[in-house]
This record gives sequence, structure tokens and C-alpha cells, in this order.
Amino acid sequence: MLDKSIKEINELLKSKKIKPIDLVLEAFDNIEKNKDLNAYITLNKEEAIKKAKELEDKEVDNILFGLPIAIKDNIVTKDLRTTCASHILDNFIPIYDATVVEKIKSKNMIIIGKTNMDEFAMGSSSRTSYFDAPKNPWNKNKISGGSSGGSATTIAAKDLLFALGTDTGGSIRQPAAYTGIVGMKPTYGRVSRYGLVAFASSLDQIGPMTRNVYENAVLLNAIVGKDPKDLTSSNKEVEDFTRLIGKDVSNMKVAVPNYFMSDIVSDEIKEKVKDTIKLLEDNNVEVDYIDMKYLDKAVTLYQVIAMGEASSNLARYDGIRYGNPTDNPKDIEDLYLSTRAEGFGDEVKRRIMVGSYLLSGDNAKTYYNKALSIRDDMKKEFSKVFEKYDLIIGPTTTTTAYNLDEDMDDPLKSFMDDVLVIPINMAGLPAISIPVGLSSDKMPVGLHIIGNSFDEATIYKLASFIEKKVGDINE
Amino acid sequence: MSNYIPTIGVEVHVELKTNTKIFSPSVNGYGQMANSLTNVIDLGYPGTLPTLNEEVINLAIKACKVLNCKIRREMHFDRKNYFYPDNPKNYQITQFETPIGYDGYVEIEVNGKTKKIEIEEMHIEEDTCKSTHRKDKTLLDFNRAGVPLIEIVTKPCMESSEEAKLYLEKLKELLFYSDISDCKMEEGSMRADANVSIRKNESDPYGTKVEIKNIGSISNVGLSIEKEIKRQEKLYESGKSFKEQTRRYDDKLGDTVLMRVKETGNDYRYFPEPDIPYVYITDEMISNVEKTIPMLPDERRSKYIDLGVSPFKANKLVNNRSLSDYFNTLLDSNINFDIASNLLLGDISGYLNKEEKVITDTTLTKERFIDLVNNIDNNNLSSRNLKDILSKVLESNSSIEEIIKTSGIKNITDDSKIREVIVSIINNNPDSVNDYKAGKDRAIKYLMGQVMKETKGSVNPKMANEILLEELNK
Repeated sequence: MLDKSIKEINELLKSKKIKPIDLVLEAFDNIEKNKDLNAYITLNKEEAIKKAKELEDKEVDNILFGLPIAIKDNIVTKDLRTTCASHILDNFIPIYDATVVEKIKSKNMIIIGKTNMDEFAMGSSSRTSYFDAPKNPWNKNKISGGSSGGSATTIAAKDLLFALGTDTGGSIRQPAAYTGIVGMKPTYGRVSRYGLVAFASSLDQIGPMTRNVYENAVLLNAIVGKDPKDLTSSNKEVEDFTRLIGKDVSNMKVAVPNYFMSDIVSDEIKEKVKDTIKLLEDNNVEVDYIDMKYLDKAVTLYQVIAMGEASSNLARYDGIRYGNPTDNPKDIEDLYLSTRAEGFGDEVKRRIMVGSYLLSGDNAKTYYNKALSIRDDMKKEFSKVFEKYDLIIGPTTTTTAYNLDEDMDDPLKSFMDDVLVIPINMAGLPAISIPVGLSSDKMPVGLHIIGNSFDEATIYKLASFIEKKVGDINE
Repeated sequence: MSNYIPTIGVEVHVELKTNTKIFSPSVNGYGQMANSLTNVIDLGYPGTLPTLNEEVINLAIKACKVLNCKIRREMHFDRKNYFYPDNPKNYQITQFETPIGYDGYVEIEVNGKTKKIEIEEMHIEEDTCKSTHRKDKTLLDFNRAGVPLIEIVTKPCMESSEEAKLYLEKLKELLFYSDISDCKMEEGSMRADANVSIRKNESDPYGTKVEIKNIGSISNVGLSIEKEIKRQEKLYESGKSFKEQTRRYDDKLGDTVLMRVKETGNDYRYFPEPDIPYVYITDEMISNVEKTIPMLPDERRSKYIDLGVSPFKANKLVNNRSLSDYFNTLLDSNINFDIASNLLLGDISGYLNKEEKVITDTTLTKERFIDLVNNIDNNNLSSRNLKDILSKVLESNSSIEEIIKTSGIKNITDDSKIREVIVSIINNNPDSVNDYKAGKDRAIKYLMGQVMKETKGSVNPKMANEILLEELNK
């Protein structure tokens, strides 16, 4: 049933030909079959079944009604364990729902489970998870990317249709590209962060991960909106993100920054992107190669800002009010040191240490404040491009997914995986990754489409056009 | 030993009187069951975010106004990072780079002269939770976590413990009067730290600074500063130096006690709070706040004195906010304000204290009070008789005239009747008459007392005094 379009499923539900419980059981069957992919940290089977049964008496009032959804495990869910893939929270059962979870529940979607990820979303291969890395359904020896690796995996494996991920420096788009699915990072402020366990507050954003563009837009419709509980959420009016899907793309203007097609990107990926550019040009889309400043500085800026903020955001995990304290601490100092030494993994510790250093004494001025100011310049640079162009495109990643057993000891490598996606977080812009083909080793290649602030609808317009032209990459 | 000049700066934390906490919808309350006024935000739960209570910004603007501070129009919050069990997020949201207020002052009267105590800056921050240390554990009460605070920091501009005390009294009066805080030091809604150093000459650099933390009362601020000055003098005189340090005042010991020596500057890793956007303070916000500032104590005092109230009584009135507010409603009426202030501070205060009421709990409307004052001023009612009818004045709605009439009080204003009584008293007290003639003024007081006793206080004292003198001088 879950291979049908959501419109079809919706009709079947409305006509009572199927019930939500059928969809839920099918999803759990799929997850069971794909157990070795390790997409989930916690399953919500009992509650999901209960909820599905409750829905049988309710009117099918929206297109997402009764559909299963997977939630990344750094988004808090009431009464459902939320670990952030960390030992320090592996017993943490939240007493409240994130705003997005409330919204999902108000649509009567059914939460199937919490997906695997990099610990506290710090990583780009989901291998920093305390619960072992998820595997790429295209090739189980390969990573699914990260940090939203579990959400990408479960969608790519066709366990179900909807998942939420989070994107601080590419963590939705990069795994979407590696697993051949559609992942959108909305404009910063579009989706409430209340209940998203903070990694880097000024960059974090929740977004939809789906098997196609239309369903992505539908899920985004359900989770956006001003939230009084998140002062950084925008009061932009709620709009229908599907409204431009299927509309004529001719005469659209698209920019390709030369940096995105430079030799940091593998030839095979560049070829796929060039094919797409050709396809666009053949359909009267104007494509220009342009130079943009600051793009090559983004990773450095990101490291300063993200790690600085992370060092502060993760200070609260001390085992005093919740979480996993050390046994028999000698004194308060020991409680802090041992709880955190035992609770956090290496990558998290590394980032907390670097972040603390970056904010120490005069360093805050030298590094953090300076990074914030260059970041403003970067935003302006993007704004200039959007004065002339509707969208920016390029590859999402420099390579396709690499092997799970590839060396993890080079901490910079993980950031370089995200060199093409990070600038977008720095500028707070919306961007999507959609699959545009397979490499020679049969791994998906993602196209990155970046829009102006709050212009997700235009991204979906072009994305759906390309999706239709490219067809299913499986075939 | 006493030829050192002390230099004192004071930092005060004041809890703002808001309905809810600064960053969460939890109730801001005192004296409730431990951990009953908390939610996930106050506890620093994963995923929670701060909201910003507008009341806090308005009260802080108000504080800037009454403390003559300049107001920063574009400000943000910062995170102060440090690990401590009373700090739920292990960072405190405060203002470091852009404190809302700066360059303010408060005026105090020292030895008859006005001195400006300069305020360096005022910033907004959240309170920590309250920890109670037991033998082998520490208990945490998060009711206080997230209660809004303003911290007011003076320049090192005070030279004596007396100045520090006067500054704190003035600060307390101003913040209390403008409804910014309860300013109850015993409940911790106002807390003071003092920085003390001493030096020989004005031209010398400042001496080593010692911070006395969390002093529990204004009088202890005075005592601890004096003790600390003496301690430092002794050290310098015996040729010793000491390091910058933090001390506390031990009430039982009557002296300051070392808490910790400052090795290097604390590294709080401040950075702008990314969860709270910039706050822009508009002219409109400021003018709306200005409308809510009541008449402040200094203005009240000078107004009262101008109307004929003695400085002593004017001060006593201002010390009682509800009486002063009541008195303010009378300011444009044409009455004897000396009598009015006597009534409020005397019999009426006595009644209110006994009944544990405030004046607005009584039936004494402005109009009835004016009647009361005028009846006394016109000699229709003596203060002695007032005592008998006070409860009716304060508990019923009858007019003052009606009460006087029905109470059977008759003030003897008949000249001949008073004279009759006085003559008889003079005749019965020849010794006192002789004393008076020998120039002993005390005799008059005694004789007047006899007159009052005889008439049960129903004569007009002024009139009786005049007649008594007339008769004595015959």
C-alpha cells in the first residue's frame, strides 16, 4: 500500500477501503525486513498501533491523515525516548512534544519511531551514533550520510513515506543525496525549533525528507508557522508550498556558482549536474555560471559558529535534572567530569573542546564575532545573486556515499563532506536535494537547488520539473 | 591608622515584580512549595527555548528612568557560561555587551550635602535556582530559576560605609516606589555585593579590591564595609599585601570571611544569545513606561514640606508608601496639612497597625478625611475626642459631623465655661502658680494637663492655653 501516491492512499482511507492500521503494520513489517539497515534507535510500535485504531472512528480530514512518519531522534517526543544518539540521554523520556511533533499529531499522522543519527547531529556519516551507524539501502557497505542518516535510510528503503530530519550544516540534504531521496532544509525561522535539541541554535532547522518532491512540499505545509515558543521563528504567512508544482519553468533564471563545479567535486557528479543543466536549457531555463565570494570560507565560519554554540548548548547535560549521571560521584566536580566523560562520544567531546576554546577570553571577539560578521557579508552575497536569479543550483555533495569502514580519524574530512551544503545554513536560505541519477557504482547523485529567503515554493517548482524529466533513478 | 581613603562600589541584584518569569510562562512567586513554580524551560530541558517577557523590558526601562540611566535602544542578550548546580542550563542568560542602562546616578544627602552616586550600568538577567546545602547533599529549588533580575552596578565612587548605606536606602526607596521590585533583602529580592579598597592619597592608584558577596541587609553592608576597611588597614600597616579576593560577611563573627582568592579573571565565554533576537526599544515604549512612574520620594518630601509638614514627618509619610499615596490625593485641597499629617502618622497609623490594615481598607474617603481635618482645625473636635470616635470614622460611612453629633461629644468652646474651670484649677494649685511666677515653664504644662483632665479633653487646647496665661498673669 505504501508504494502508492499519497493522493491514492488518501482516497482509500476516505472510502474506508483501508485503515490507518494497515499502513502502520506495513511500515513496521518493512522496518523489520530492513532491520539490518539500523535506521531506528527507538520504535513506537505499541503506541502507533493504538493511535491507528483510535483514528478508525475519525473523519479523514487531511491528506496526511493516518500516514506513518519517522522522526529524527533529536526532536523531542512526549513519552517516547529521545536520545540524540547519545549515551548521555539514552534513558531520556521527554515530558513534552516539540512544536513540529504537535503539528504532526494535529494532522493525525502516526509516529512510527525515532531515527538514527550522528550523536547530537555532529557528523556527516551517522557513524558518531552511540547506536552504530545506519546503512545505505543502495549498498549496505556504504554510509547513509548524516547527520539525518536514519531518516534518509528509512525513506530510501521505502519503509514509509515521511520522515523529519534536521539540518545544521547540510544534515538533511547530504544524506538525501547519498540515499537518493528528497530532502529540504527550509529557510531559517520557517519551522519552529522548539523541541529540537539544540546543536548550533543559529543554524539548526527542521525539514521534511520524502521519496518525492510533491510529498516533501505537503509535509512542509504541515510543519511551518510562527511559534510563540521560538522567538527566532518567522511570522511569514503560511502558504501552500505545492502551489507552483507543475507550473511552466521556461524563462526561469538559474545561477551555477563556479565554485560548486570546481575540482573539489568528482567528475562523475559534475557530469550528472551538467546533464541537468542541459535539460534545463533545453526547456528554456536560462542558466549562467557565476562567481560568488565567501563560498570557500563557509566551512571555516561554520566550524567557529557551530562549535562555539554547541559548546554552550551541550553544557546542560550534567546528569542532574535528567539524563544519565555517573555512578557514585566523589563530589560535584566529579559528577560533571565523569558524567560528561562517560556520556559523550569522541566527536562531541572534540567539538565541545574546540568550541569552548573559540569562546574563551578574547577568542570570542577574534573568532565568533568575526565569523558572525563575515556571515552577514555572505548573506549579502547571496542576496545579490537573487536580485538577478530565481534559483542557484549545483551538486549537493562532492562525491557519492563512501564506505562505512572508511577512516573516521580525520575530523576535517567530515566537514569537507558538507562543503557545498554548509554555505546555505550560513545564509539561512532554503535548499533542497533531489536525486538526478546514479554513479557508475550505482550510488545516487543529488542536485542541490537553493532559493531566496522564504521562497521554498520556487525551489519545489523547479525540483518537481527536474524530477519529472529525470524519472525514477531506480529505473 | 585612619589616614586611608576607602573606595567603595556596590553591585545590587533586584528581582523584578513581574507576574511570570523572564524566559518562561512559569509564575514568578516567593514562598511557594519547592519546585512548584517550574516548567521544562526553567529546568533547561533539551529542546526548550526562551521566550521574552515584555513586562521585564518595561520594568527595566522604568528602572533606567528612575535611576537616571541612558537607555540602549538596540540591545541583545548574552550567554554567561559556567558550571554550577544552581545554573540549570550551565549558562545564564544575561546582558554583557549591551546592558539596557548606562551612565545613571542616584542622589544622596551626606552631611547636609548632595552627592551623586554614579551608576556605571544596569543589565537584565535571569536568577539561578536556590540551593540548600545539607550535610552530604544539596537540595535545589527551581522556583527561583528564571526570575527576572536587574543588576545595578555603581562606579567606585563611595568613600564611606555611610554613603553605601544611604545609596542602598535610596535605591530601595526608588525601586519600591516605582513598583519595580519588592526590594525585600530578607527574602532575597534585593541582594548587595560591595567592592572595597583603600589607599593613602587621592592621587594613588586604587588599592587591591576585595568583593564582599551577598550581604543580607543594609546595616550589614555598613558593618561589613567598616570591618573590611579596618582589616585592610591593618594588613597594609603591618607591611602585608593581599590578593584580589571574594569574601562574605559572617553575622555571628561580625567580620568578613574569605571565600576565594581570584587567581585569574573568570572566563565566562560570553557570546550573543542566539535564541533571542535583538530587542529594539522605541520612543513609544519609553513614553508608555514613563506614564506609569508615580511621584518619586524626593518630590513627595519637598512637596509635603512646602505645604507645611515638618521635614521629619514628611519623611515618615514617605516611608509608608500607602499613607504617602493617600496623602498625595489631598495635595490640591486647601486644608491644614500639619494636622493631616499628624492624623495619618498618629491615631490612624496606630489603628492600622493594630488592625493590620492599610488606609485604603478603611472607609476614610478623601472627602471624609478632609472633613475630619477641618473639624479639628476649626476646634469642633479635639484630638482627645478623636480617639473615642476613631473606629466610627474608619469603619462607617457616616459623615464626620454626624459622628461627632451622635457620639455626644461637645467641644467646650464657650469661653466662660473654660475660664470657670481654669480659675478653679489655679485656686487649687497655688504651688504651681508660684512656680510659674518664678519662671518655671514646666508649671504651665502641668496646669494644662489638669485642665485637660478636668474637661476630659473636650476643650480646645489653644483656647485653654490662652485663657490660662491670661488668668495667671492677672
